[in-house]
Amino acid sequence: MMYRDDDALDRALFALPLEEPPADLRASILTSTVYRPAPAFSFWEITGLGVIAAVLVWLVALIAMGGGTLFVQTISAIASSLARPLSNVTTLAWLAAGAATAFWLTFFTGSQPFMLASQRVGQRAR
Amino acid sequence: MSAVLLDRKVTQPEAADGDLVAMAVRGNPDAFAVLVERYDRAVYHLAFRTLHDVEEARDVTQEAFFKAFRSLRTFKPGAKFSTWIFAIAYHACCDRLNRRKRYSSEEMPERADAGPGPEQQAIALDEAKRLRAAIDALPEKYRTVITLYHLQGRQYEEIAQVLELPMGTVKTHLFRAKEQLRRLLSPSTELGVNSSKETEQ
Repeated sequence: MMYRDDDALDRALFALPLEEPPADLRASILTSTVYRPAPAFSFWEITGLGVIAAVLVWLVALIAMGGGTLFVQTISAIASSLARPLSNVTTLAWLAAGAATAFWLTFFTGSQPFMLASQRVGQRAR
Repeated sequence: MSAVLLDRKVTQPEAADGDLVAMAVRGNPDAFAVLVERYDRAVYHLAFRTLHDVEEARDVTQEAFFKAFRSLRTFKPGAKFSTWIFAIAYHACCDRLNRRKRYSSEEMPERADAGPGPEQQAIALDEAKRLRAAIDALPEKYRTVITLYHLQGRQYEEIAQVLELPMGTVKTHLFRAKEQLRRLLSPSTELGVNSSKETEQ
């Protein structure tokens, strides 16, 4: 057949059937994308578990190296350094102001974080 | 209830690609499955026509959809999904061709020239097969343009977007590709690699 003009060639090109893909191609695409089995733990869960494991290892190492005394000293040092900012009145005032603002904003957003979980579930069901 | 409505919407044949992408981004797996159903064959066709290897075409198709799925959020709402997925697949093909060039000591075949060659086969085959063989005999850049023209119709802008070429270049390539195809398919011309090489020169 001769393709003297553009239209004849175009018609022949557009009528050309597409290549037949392998039979299981679609299934393998879907398995690797949307229907991929969900991981057992999410990223945040793995991060949390990692942090907990690291802290436990550190505590065990602490006890192993210095015995109970070093362990108690370290824990009390950490606790006092954490409690120090909370003993400051200005810090407490800023924290209270932030919490009050967040609580006030929930009236506009409707998130209501202080509602009981059972009430929230009931509201969602409705 | 909303999930049921959503699924019903997905199964509608007229659901636009953009809507399906939006639904997939919202976490509806069926929406992306519809997109795969719509374009897997076309993407495979593009990959196979470019690479001429069943396994590599298969890998590229899978890779393209995987990349698209992972970056669905970056899909621009006004864009065409077909152009986007073709562009991803085309880039994956280019990567593979470059890798082949890098790791192969032999000169890369710029066109299909395995076995007896399309020229001998074409004579005996039906019209579609002859046309396909003639497309295979084109240089790579023309073959890709013709393949995308076949897949996307006369949408030059989209072809230009996929290939990242100026529209003028696409039109020129297409014109030359068609010219060569006509020559390759004319009964008086011997169809084959050599003739297309000469034309290229």
